[in-house]
Amino acid sequence: MARQQGLFALILALAIAAGAVLFSFPLQLGLDLRGGSQLTLQVLPAGAIKTVKREQLEAVKEVLDRRVNGLGVAESTLQTIGDDQLVLQLPGEQDPSRAAKVFGTTALLEFRAQKPGTEGEMQGLLRLKRQAQSVLELSRRRASADANQSAAPGQPPAPAPSFPAEDLAKALGDLGVTVPAGAGETEQIEALLDEVNKRVVALYEPATLTGKDLVTAGRQQQQTGSGWDVTLNFNRQGGEGFARLTQSIAGSNRLLGIVLDGRSISEASVSQEFAAAGITGGAASITGNFSAEEARDLEVQLRGGSLPLPVKIIEVRTVGPLLGAENIRTSLVAALAGLALVAVFMVVVYRLPGAVAVVALSLYALFNLATYALIPVTLTLPGIAGFILSIGMAVDANVLIFERVKEELRSGNTLIRSIDGGFSLAFTSILDGHVTGLISCIALFALGTGLVKGFAVTLGIGLLLSLFTALSCTRVLLRLMMSYPNLRRPTYFLPSRQLPSPAA
Amino acid sequence: MTPSPAPASSATPSPVLPPIQYFRITRHRRIAWWGSAVACLISLIGMALCWLNPAIGAPLKPGLDFTGGTRIQLERACDPNCPAITVSQVAEQLEDLQLPEDAGASVPDLRGSPVQVLDQGSSIELRLPSLSAEQGTAVIEQLAGSLGPFKPGGTSVDTIGPTLGAQLLRSSLISLLVSFAAIALYITLRYDRVFAFLAILALAHDVLITTGLFAWLGLLLGVEVDSLFAVALITVAGYSVNDTVVVFDRIREQKTSLEAFPFSDQVDVAVDATLTRSIYTSLTTLLPLLGILFFGGSSLFWFSVALTAGIGFGSWSSIGVAPTLLPLFSGKGFVSSAPEDGASPTGAA
Repeated sequence: MARQQGLFALILALAIAAGAVLFSFPLQLGLDLRGGSQLTLQVLPAGAIKTVKREQLEAVKEVLDRRVNGLGVAESTLQTIGDDQLVLQLPGEQDPSRAAKVFGTTALLEFRAQKPGTEGEMQGLLRLKRQAQSVLELSRRRASADANQSAAPGQPPAPAPSFPAEDLAKALGDLGVTVPAGAGETEQIEALLDEVNKRVVALYEPATLTGKDLVTAGRQQQQTGSGWDVTLNFNRQGGEGFARLTQSIAGSNRLLGIVLDGRSISEASVSQEFAAAGITGGAASITGNFSAEEARDLEVQLRGGSLPLPVKIIEVRTVGPLLGAENIRTSLVAALAGLALVAVFMVVVYRLPGAVAVVALSLYALFNLATYALIPVTLTLPGIAGFILSIGMAVDANVLIFERVKEELRSGNTLIRSIDGGFSLAFTSILDGHVTGLISCIALFALGTGLVKGFAVTLGIGLLLSLFTALSCTRVLLRLMMSYPNLRRPTYFLPSRQLPSPAA
Repeated sequence: MTPSPAPASSATPSPVLPPIQYFRITRHRRIAWWGSAVACLISLIGMALCWLNPAIGAPLKPGLDFTGGTRIQLERACDPNCPAITVSQVAEQLEDLQLPEDAGASVPDLRGSPVQVLDQGSSIELRLPSLSAEQGTAVIEQLAGSLGPFKPGGTSVDTIGPTLGAQLLRSSLISLLVSFAAIALYITLRYDRVFAFLAILALAHDVLITTGLFAWLGLLLGVEVDSLFAVALITVAGYSVNDTVVVFDRIREQKTSLEAFPFSDQVDVAVDATLTRSIYTSLTTLLPLLGILFFGGSSLFWFSVALTAGIGFGSWSSIGVAPTLLPLFSGKGFVSSAPEDGASPTGAA
């Protein structure tokens, strides 16, 4: 019996852990349950590109991500689906027309020369920009390190870039930026960065060369040193334009600005040696001592800008928060009422083991929800359907076991032997039923679309957990009960008239 | 009530057929087959009629998810009762709407779009041709003038492009077929080919009748199928296989202990022994579904109808269809050890 008690303690600990998980990680609700807008975008092929591939989709996503972030909707997400689709989710947003406007135009990448006589101003702005960017980067990295708690121990922290409050206030004041009262440091720096960007772009000449003449962008490691360079390849026309552009500023302190959607993403100087003819041959590299990650970012942005692929909105779904809340409330109440009836049914039909099954099934529901919170699984209406079906399967497992126990009792076996026999005889059909269910879940998850996927995930988790609770929780609880002699009565399992002979 | 078996003295040499508690299913096999065949036929007729119906033109009446278009649902803010409103009033309002132009596309014509007034006039549902996000907002704003005010959080707008519907249909079908094939393979490995074939047959039976039911509902009540219906069919398929496997598992398990008896007797015993479980399990699965059916939101009503019906058919096919076909397909025929007049069989040595 010590073993049963140990296992019981384990189940109890798991239940407490599951409760704690649910308490600290709230369940994520899909847009159909909490309200919001969802837009599905199709990236259309254009120009020389006949079919959209993964790589191009990433590039378009990069461009659109920036525009979506500009909308300022909290927790908006943009995800790729398949090879040519994107899904944008805007929780809480009721009016998708504002977001829809963002996708109306294709990316605009421009190469622009700096206006003469603005060198001083540009240097000041760029210094501010670097400082602001590195502070933002650091706080972002800190936030993710806090989440992972994987910061290298023992290593002395590098001299942290910082933005003293009075410097920040002064910089903001100089540029005439007003921030709303109570804005945090990050928001102030972001506002500053926006303004700096605007001013930097204003210091450029109008564009003479655009992204459509850029053939590819790539990155390569520097031959000396550990930094990365970003490479550019133009077509013939672009090569000529780039040569003219670079010749005009070579050797001066004026910079070459690369502007994506009105945002300066890179500023490069052109050295004296190109003063004669500019950078010719249609190929160039930007040497900035980039880290691998920075180089990749710039490369993807350039590629996105060189691929002005239009996007088409093929689906818009908007659910008001009231409708969402109503959906979840009525469905939950209805399902709970049904489950309460199931509990009554189990206790009436199966008596003591029925009551044990109700406890085990409550634990099952708790483990399920905790798993959703932990992974995390975003709950949608089909997801709830999957959850309800998995409860049905879990109840079925218990019914199978208890019917077998009853049969064993009827044929005159002792109580303990009947319980053990019931579990082992029911095992194969429970296993087969669950495995076939899991097979469908895998197929549906791998091949289905969003809605069907949500269903497959919750049902799959439910089936895995049900195998555990039916075969271990119910069993351990039942065995534990049987260690008390006054619970060890066959009539707690079966009406006495169904027993073969007067039970001992 | 139940005849007690001989005390379980397993040493007795002559095998005893376990008592049949309820009925011998293979005795009623012809009724079972006819019932299922007629149900399948009615389903096929319903789907054919749907297909031939010029207004539908598909085996099922496709909803917005598959046809594309815009659906707008509005909740009116009324205090305490909404002024009465009729469908024709809403339709009139629709005709007068001015929509902003969408770049490169003509303004869709809203005249004659289906309109529904639900819940004693407190909510309105519009089915419109595909609108851009701006046009959708314009419709709501302009209707608010005459039919409003609307509850701020109670609006829902769905716009679905036709390509997405086709894609959804295709991916659902492919994933269903792949999962059928994988399940058939698994059952073949665990049991044998005949079992796998019959499990898939029973599954097809359940899915077909559920689909047929919705074809008729579409014809008679105008019920449309959406992507939730596809999810319901997948659920029914999974449930059906599980149900059939339980009976098959029982047949396999008692194969050695009942070896002396004809195969149809073995089937009878297995179905009889698992009958209580089949009924209880259907009941416990149906209870939460019935809860949603009667008390859940309207968005889940037809979904739970599909699941309830499908699970009902699934229980039936696991009792009446798959097991009774087993002796036929495994080439063992229907030889019974007991006389057909139904005298209680107690032994066969």
